Amino acid sequence: MCDVATVQKIANCLGVVPGEIQLNDDQVVTRIGAQNNRVTGFATILESLAVESKSEIAQNSIASPEVQAQVYQWIEFAVLYVGPGSKDKHVSKQLLADLNNLFSSKSYLVGHFLTLADLAVFYAIGDLIKSLSPVDKENYLNLSRWYDHLQQRPDIHQGETLLNFTTIYLHNWATGTHL
Amino acid sequence: MTKLRVSSSFSPAEITMSTGTLYTYPENFRAYKALIAAQYSGAKVKVAEDFKFGESNKSAEFLKKFPFGKVPAFETADGKYLSESNAIAYFLANEQLRGGKCPFAQAEVLQWTSFADNEILPVSCAWVFPLLGIMPQQKNANVKQDAEVVLQRLNKKLLDVTYLVGERITLADIVVFASLLHLYQYVLEPSVRRDYVNLNRWFVTILNQPQVQAVVKDFKLCEKALVYDPKKYAEFQAKTGTKQQQPAKQKEEKKPKEKKEAKKEEPEELDAADEALAAEPKSKDPFDALPKGTFNFDDFKRVYSNEDESKSIPYFFEKFDPENYSIWFGSYKYNEELSKVFMSCNLITGMFQRLDKMRKQAFASVCLFGEDNNSSISGVWVWRGQELAFPLSPDWQIDYEVYDWKKLDPKSEETKKLVTQYFSWSGTDKDGRKFNQGKIFK
Repeated sequence: MCDVATVQKIANCLGVVPGEIQLNDDQVVTRIGAQNNRVTGFATILESLAVESKSEIAQNSIASPEVQAQVYQWIEFAVLYVGPGSKDKHVSKQLLADLNNLFSSKSYLVGHFLTLADLAVFYAIGDLIKSLSPVDKENYLNLSRWYDHLQQRPDIHQGETLLNFTTIYLHNWATGTHL
Repeated sequence: MTKLRVSSSFSPAEITMSTGTLYTYPENFRAYKALIAAQYSGAKVKVAEDFKFGESNKSAEFLKKFPFGKVPAFETADGKYLSESNAIAYFLANEQLRGGKCPFAQAEVLQWTSFADNEILPVSCAWVFPLLGIMPQQKNANVKQDAEVVLQRLNKKLLDVTYLVGERITLADIVVFASLLHLYQYVLEPSVRRDYVNLNRWFVTILNQPQVQAVVKDFKLCEKALVYDPKKYAEFQAKTGTKQQQPAKQKEEKKPKEKKEAKKEEPEELDAADEALAAEPKSKDPFDALPKGTFNFDDFKRVYSNEDESKSIPYFFEKFDPENYSIWFGSYKYNEELSKVFMSCNLITGMFQRLDKMRKQAFASVCLFGEDNNSSISGVWVWRGQELAFPLSPDWQIDYEVYDWKKLDPKSEETKKLVTQYFSWSGTDKDGRKFNQGKIFK
């Protein structure tokens, strides 16, 4: 997931010119910026994008040292755990349950506003969410709400087809089964 | 369509230029709506300094600008006037807060604004105001259940959506948030709010937005719900008593109008007062169940009013019917907390007002002894029946718990002395404070 396409999407989101994004000889994603400066590694690249960006998301992500540290932590989590874990049936189930539980009391991953942490996890978990059946999604209503909230924003979906979460309205008929 | 064109004709620069003065008392949740909206739009709002609620907004100058005398009220820099908090918040907001360009989203914002006013505020006020002591407690009112219905509705809505309208914060969130503040501050203790996971998530999200933090300072979620304390209401009445005596007097003659009168006098408690009045049951005289006996209160009151005490007091003992009537001594429990004499007097007259329906079958002389910051309240009461009369009606139970009640033996000499002292407004209290003022309940 820490691929070239994701970095480009996040750069678009932040309204920053991504420059040249490619994989170096060690298959690590690398950004070659306007001044021919090289930045290597997914988390570090995102940080460099945030510094250049004037967008609200970027500002939120560097609101304080604590926020910045937490954002970094979630980006690492996205790279090391969400991406690879999505491919494993058991790990992914736990991952979905954990995130769903987290979003029962929070609207966003860090603080109370949209940050790069949300973006990184959003793009990392996209394929896994896409693979869920409507009945599966019923088990993760909080996570669904967060994902839907992000994908509705034009700067985030960037023209991709939106996933359908309307089936979650089923719970209006069978409220007893949901939290 | 017209509307869209109008709003888009404002350049952002023009919008940020909207400036003016907001009149409000501190920590007014209604004013919060306007102040938060201004934080988002960048509108410059000055909060009027040295505003005194109940004074500044009753002044001729204020009423000329805002005939209803209600706050918050807003005066634009170019001298236009706006009242009603939702309207002020709308004016100070930006396009995003108003629901964006889509008329449907704008309508949704309006929908939630109305929901806050019509569904949330009535239940919130009915629950919280009695606990704060600014409204009498309603017996038999299902305030908690009523609130539960509204909170569950919001909770269900917020399971699927991050914000109430669209994917960004709008006035809908701000208005609903402000209307829920009292509940989250005073009564939704952890064990109660556990049932509203999604609503809590949303509330905390809104609360922690920097624009909201700039206005709602040091807000803490309720740790332990307030409990009802009848003393608080009595104290509140004492402080604001002079203001509220007026409508209460008119109440006697003009029952149908009382709703309107109450509205005028208490703008801030409008919704709650409305609720309370609507909930008030049509009651019969609770004394009807007790035997009439031979003592006639009307006759005695006439003699007491027209004749000297040297005649009326012997008349009282001659006519008094100990079989069916009783004499009581009531002394205020919190004398050490009494400060100004006029406030203490309001405490007494306030109690009399709330016992209005008891007048026909009761009589009392309540006296204040001493002076400012060293005084006591006590009185001699007479009513039909042998038991404490107050539990007979829920309307009468607001004040009596702040008094110690002692039944007097009508035959003893001591009682005669007490009755004579209180009916003739003379002597001292048990600590030797001199008689200052008396109030007659008749």
